[in-house]
Amino acid sequence: MSMCNSSWSQMVFYEKAHEGSRRGADTSAFLQSPQKMTATLRPYLNAVRATLQAALCLENFSSQVVERHNKPEVEVRSSKELLLQPVVISRNDKEKVLIEGSINSVRVSIAVKQADEIEKILCHKFMRFMMMRAENFFILRRKPVEGYDISFLITNFHTEQMYKHKLRNSSKIFEDLSLESFCSRLGRRCGSHGK
Amino acid sequence: MARNTLGSRFRRVEVDGLEENSRFVEEQDEAAELQGPDTAEVDSLLRQGDMMSAFHVALRNPPINSKNPAIKEKAQAVVLRVLTSFKSSDIEPAVKSIDRNGIDLLMKYIYKGFEKPCENSSAILLQWHEKAFAVGGLGSIVRVMTSRKTV
Repeated sequence: MSMCNSSWSQMVFYEKAHEGSRRGADTSAFLQSPQKMTATLRPYLNAVRATLQAALCLENFSSQVVERHNKPEVEVRSSKELLLQPVVISRNDKEKVLIEGSINSVRVSIAVKQADEIEKILCHKFMRFMMMRAENFFILRRKPVEGYDISFLITNFHTEQMYKHKLRNSSKIFEDLSLESFCSRLGRRCGSHGK
Repeated sequence: MARNTLGSRFRRVEVDGLEENSRFVEEQDEAAELQGPDTAEVDSLLRQGDMMSAFHVALRNPPINSKNPAIKEKAQAVVLRVLTSFKSSDIEPAVKSIDRNGIDLLMKYIYKGFEKPCENSSAILLQWHEKAFAVGGLGSIVRVMTSRKTV
């Protein structure tokens, strides 16, 4: 899952392409548009990465309420002393990431930008597709938290078995998601211009 | 098996109530409730264009121990105004000029500011976050998440 490096270059290309399509320019102008949107994208991703790195300090902690049980405390929320302050990082009012931590688990919820109806539908379908196959993803949550499009639940068992930096990257893939929907919009526009 | 395992009333006993110290009690800090930064002073400094002093004044008296949401809202609004009126190039010297507690406090305000994004605040806040993180490191973020006293 080290899509990090390739996804930067992909992102830059797609961002430029999106700018071009928004102004109704033809496809050849795509590569010349200014990088207005990438100005906040990089700090946004860096901020999320840093916060996730801070929150992903997990250790095993058995349930204090039921003996011999081990539950992710961020989901159970039974004891206040085990929970961290939830923290939001927003890029604008549509795109944000909510990170709720606890002693043995972290819940990361992402709200992806959906500019128009078709993107809303695409996003919804894509997320539903992923969430129905949540068992194969291990860290995906079957239902997103209220107000967000997708949620991850990472427990200490996951951090013990998987690399932390790869776990961080896998949630970043979903932040790039809005670009995929731009791509499909691009495809429609290119088709209608007859290119 | 012994006879007394047939009963299940022991399962309904609330164990935490029996023992005195087992429940988690938030420490009640006796420190005085700070009222948040002085709006008038910050306004006048901003009008004069003295960003650095406005910044320092805004970070004084954080309403950490206060339970009143109005005070916290007011403080947050003041700090956000100061942070958004900074130019990108001035952020770094401002961040270097405060001490470690100041950086932690700044991070708290930054994250609070992210919760209610208005028209350009997130972009500036992201820049502040980057610079503050460069100085404070992961520890400053961890202290935001673990401290029980929110700004």
